[in-house]
Amino acid sequence: MSRQISFDLNGNETSLEIEDHWTLLYLLREKLGLTGTKEGCGSGECGACTVIVDGAAINTCLYLAVEVEGKTVLTIEGLASPNGDLHPMQKSFIENGGIQCGYCSPGMILSATALLEENAAPDDDEIKHAIAGNICRCTGYVQIIDAIKRTSQPETEKVKVVAWQSDTGNK
Amino acid sequence: MKPFTYLIPKTLDEAISLFESHEGRSAYIAGGTDVLIKIKERKLLPDYLISLKHILGPDRPLLNADTKELYISAFITHRTLERSTLIQRTYPILHDAVKNIGSVQIRNTATIGGNLVNAVPSADGAIPLIALDASVNIYGTKGMRSIDLIHFFLGPGQSVLEKGEILTEIVVPPLLPRTGGAYIKFGRRKAMELPLLGVGMLLSLDEDLATCVKARIGLGVAAPTPIRAFSAERFLKGREVNEQTLTEAGQIAADEARVRDSIRGVAWYRRELVGVLVKRMGFTCLQRAGLKHGDSEDV
Amino acid sequence: MLANGTTKIASKLAPTINDRHLLRIYDSAPFKSCEKPMTNVYIVGQRVSKLAAAEKATGRSKYIQDVTLPGMLHGKILYSKYPHARIVNIDTSRAKKLQGVRVVLTGEDIPAIRMGVYKDNPPLKAGKVRSYRDEVAAVAATDPAIAEEALNLIEVTYEALPAVFDPETAMQKDAPLVHEAHKTNILKMPWKLHYGDVDAARKEAAHIVEDRFSATWVTHCCLGTSGSIADFDYDNHLTVYSNTQIPSLAQKDFLGTVKALGLKNRRVRVVKPCIGGAFGSKLDTYAYEHVAILLAFHARKPVRILFDRKEEFIATSTRQPAIMDIAQGCDENGKLLFRDITMILDNGAYTSWGATTPSVMMMPISTLYRVPNVRYQASCVYTNNTYAQAMRGYGNPQATFAIESSIDMLARAAGIDPVEFRRINANQPSEVSPQGFRITTCGLTECIDRVAHEIGADDVKKKGEGIGYASLIHVGGGARVYKSDGCGTLMKINDYGKVDVFTGATDMGQGADTVIAQLVAEELGLHIDDIHVIHTDTDVCPWDVGAHASRTTFIAGNSALGAAKKLKEQIVKIASQTLDVDPQQIELNDRMAIFREDTEKNIDLGKLLRKTHFSPGGNMLMAEYFYDPDNENLGRDFKGNLSMTYTFGTHGARVKVDEETGKVEILNYVAAHDVGRAINPMLLEGQVYGGVMMGIGYALTEQVQLEKGEIMNPNFRDYKVLTAKDTVPIEAPILETTDPDGPYGAKGIGEPGCVPTAPAIANAIYDAVGVRIKDLPITPERVLAALKRKKGIDSCGIDPLTEKEYDCT
Repeated sequence: MSRQISFDLNGNETSLEIEDHWTLLYLLREKLGLTGTKEGCGSGECGACTVIVDGAAINTCLYLAVEVEGKTVLTIEGLASPNGDLHPMQKSFIENGGIQCGYCSPGMILSATALLEENAAPDDDEIKHAIAGNICRCTGYVQIIDAIKRTSQPETEKVKVVAWQSDTGNK
Repeated sequence: MKPFTYLIPKTLDEAISLFESHEGRSAYIAGGTDVLIKIKERKLLPDYLISLKHILGPDRPLLNADTKELYISAFITHRTLERSTLIQRTYPILHDAVKNIGSVQIRNTATIGGNLVNAVPSADGAIPLIALDASVNIYGTKGMRSIDLIHFFLGPGQSVLEKGEILTEIVVPPLLPRTGGAYIKFGRRKAMELPLLGVGMLLSLDEDLATCVKARIGLGVAAPTPIRAFSAERFLKGREVNEQTLTEAGQIAADEARVRDSIRGVAWYRRELVGVLVKRMGFTCLQRAGLKHGDSEDV
Repeated sequence: MLANGTTKIASKLAPTINDRHLLRIYDSAPFKSCEKPMTNVYIVGQRVSKLAAAEKATGRSKYIQDVTLPGMLHGKILYSKYPHARIVNIDTSRAKKLQGVRVVLTGEDIPAIRMGVYKDNPPLKAGKVRSYRDEVAAVAATDPAIAEEALNLIEVTYEALPAVFDPETAMQKDAPLVHEAHKTNILKMPWKLHYGDVDAARKEAAHIVEDRFSATWVTHCCLGTSGSIADFDYDNHLTVYSNTQIPSLAQKDFLGTVKALGLKNRRVRVVKPCIGGAFGSKLDTYAYEHVAILLAFHARKPVRILFDRKEEFIATSTRQPAIMDIAQGCDENGKLLFRDITMILDNGAYTSWGATTPSVMMMPISTLYRVPNVRYQASCVYTNNTYAQAMRGYGNPQATFAIESSIDMLARAAGIDPVEFRRINANQPSEVSPQGFRITTCGLTECIDRVAHEIGADDVKKKGEGIGYASLIHVGGGARVYKSDGCGTLMKINDYGKVDVFTGATDMGQGADTVIAQLVAEELGLHIDDIHVIHTDTDVCPWDVGAHASRTTFIAGNSALGAAKKLKEQIVKIASQTLDVDPQQIELNDRMAIFREDTEKNIDLGKLLRKTHFSPGGNMLMAEYFYDPDNENLGRDFKGNLSMTYTFGTHGARVKVDEETGKVEILNYVAAHDVGRAINPMLLEGQVYGGVMMGIGYALTEQVQLEKGEIMNPNFRDYKVLTAKDTVPIEAPILETTDPDGPYGAKGIGEPGCVPTAPAIANAIYDAVGVRIKDLPITPERVLAALKRKKGIDSCGIDPLTEKEYDCT
């Protein structure tokens, strides 16, 4: 059956017609062109398709689109500010080597973001617990955990990574 | 996925009548993490999917102040239980289990009721609830009925639920004083695992904090359904809980288990694990029974 | 060597994340650099963020899943229902009638195309199937669901044939033949290496150990599943979008298919979308790529084939499984005298690169430690199992598991401390191994010492705890597997001083693009974001043999450096003309041409370039370079200097074994590598961490479970890739030996992280509880069975993985 649904998608009120059997993953990728949400397994075992619905990280491959009616959906495309500034979590992943092939990155970054929303200063175990459902085959997770930890630390403790800045090449 | 119509009843009666009116072509869905996989794999092909997600009810576990009974709506998520301070403090055995079911993403959608009605031998949610002597309330056209959870499971994927019936609530009777409980999922990884073996154990102690007055041992993946190790429980009752009695209880439980070989693990090893893990959970119970509220430390 | 009593670094036991960053390349810990770091280096050696990371972090990167073309059809493949069967009949009539179906193909409909190194594998099978992953038919339809439905409508009648799943059984005379025309199941690929006199050395040896080890199927588990789009233009020129590691060689393979279709003199263009992980899995072309081409040709429309996760497990290749018999002996001082190895490799039903892994296994067999007498022989045997491919380490993890487990046994037999034993036999700089490997720089001894120090070799071990070591050698300066080991670079600099680098290299997440940009920026005195690296399209990028053998930093790096030097020469020349000074006096720095004697004359690079461009007789600066190193193909005797340089390393694991459950916990892990020079320590550490975690999975949890040829666990639930919760404290100290041939001294480091991991862990388990597990993965069942046997409790039954009694001594 098709029906009209309305929800907040990355800060934009969105109304559209969907079919009942569409997963949220299908809606985002195939109908809305939001291909930042990845499919890695289709059965909730890898976390590549993670988005945040009403503050909670969920697997869009096992979540029906019809269920987002009236809810707030945040995908990786909506994480950076509208003015283009990256979210601190994105910046930290970039600066600390948390990204290699990048296929798990959108889901991983969103899982990490959801964690910090509910626990601003998680310890290593809490970080690992929160991202255990996001499989990464490239990094061995070390630099990902590092990146999340650095985002969650107070500003003063953050280590500046000089090489990222464009004006630090040659002096 | 094969197309279906998604129906969103707001009451149990509405849900049941929708099921009836589409008899044979409908299925219930709550969190959906199992149902949608079955539909994707074409093991389930409903024309109507009836959501239980929007049925009004308590959104967190509730402790009845008078009876000390714990009421858990079947439609709340594992994540809700994981984050409940009531569960963390008073029912650490349940917390041990729900915090490691699937991933955060799965726990944010999957419901405790779904875990039970799926009726797989590896259901992490069922084992501690069995040890807690939980019963479940089941609602159908004939009204509400209640059954002890241990009698709920009939075989792999099979339960006592009749067509159209809905598991609505889990009721945990009051805990005896000086009770400690613990659950362990033994897997190959530390997360995203189905248990190779699951052991949930509950011990209530006498005032000496040593003698067992009541023992409950729930085993997962030790038989075609979640089971209790009755003989081991009987053995412990009235005995002092120590290395020797726990080791023996473990051996008795291992003998009771009807383990088998599967691609996930071999029978002899599962049997070994029953012995070892019953003993270890016994020690954790002992420790937690001595603490005021129990605790939620990792086991 | 460390002096006793050296203060240990605080981070040793439980390194926190902050501590790890203190352990950078120039740390003051007692880990010497063989040469002092170069001075005046700005970008090389920096923790530069990966170039495409922001695109990936924002979800903008396009993977094959994200590429669509107008009018594109969706292809699906039907696989065999039997491990070995005759195809009696295929009825596609119902599938063809389904609305939305455009093309249905079977093996009978396609021209002769043979894939793989042995050319024994057609993309669609006719006549018979030889494994469950055999492609029987393919469909192109307007929608993936319709294509799927069409597959269900194809009726295939099979007549089952006797099958063989065990390579040793397959070697016997009366075994069912997988390829009748081949007349035997043993491949005619005789891998034989022999030098010195092993038999004489054996008689001389004071201590000898002998045993059998086995390594099973594991697979890459790239998060981005495989996929390909084929698109013929009006003139039958073909474009293939594919997440390949070998664009140039894939181009050749695809051209073969185009020719087989009767199309002459057509162009093939290979476009690489962003690759969601590779690890060797995309080092060959697969049936799905050729099938997409065939479907597209018949449909006259672009066709995309995408794998789902189950298909990824079933229809892509594994690491090469191996049964390894090894004997080693040493004299009474612990000097290795001989190494004698025989292997049987389960080739599966077809032949891809897995069958050639012995060529790389030979490297550790001949040259991991100094061994004067070596004999090695390997047989690849057809079975009705899945077939293997390249996977990170390319045979080296298997061989090193046997060698380093055996080294540990030998050290103990000789009564010598395992660390000391390794020191005694360690390779040294500037030596030539009997297989002909010319070792230039070598920091193996330093790596051994560093690991022993970091892992706390002298600390008191609690009950159930143990420490194990294993070392590695790997190609670090390319590997001449083909006639060329080259890589080309084109480079242009625009009017604003921005450089486009067109490289043959492939980035699949490891950071090849970033390293190339760093090298070019360094050479031209530019900033990192002045460099744009294009590595995605055979129409614009020069030839490269592929992203394999940890060769990209070394080979593509040298190639980029070569082009950059030529470009620099031109820039300096125009600067000297414009400024009217001696070219020797000019240097490029900070986007400027700098004249030291009169800084007033310094000129902005963009300005200089524009001036040159827009003057009479104007000029645009461009450069090209093709780097093909002086390494050698292995000869008929399998000798030759395969690589320009070799990467060395040592790993150490501290484990705790639960003696009641057999479960192994890694308490601490140290992986030290001689990397020549770290161009980008952050990306380098990422390779090591990722490799080590993959190696831990190989050691402890991962296995593609085959039962009579069928994969029983084609999902992440039952195939145990490690999760974030399974991480262990890893330290990855970097030793810089500044290789004379490497770009700025670098060696390759893509693969080593997962090479010695399994034996380091196995050796630690032995150290902890005295049982040696010789089969991978080291499951708790195997450890517990071994512990029981050690206590005199007989058998625990049959090991379901080897289908033999639990082997444990």
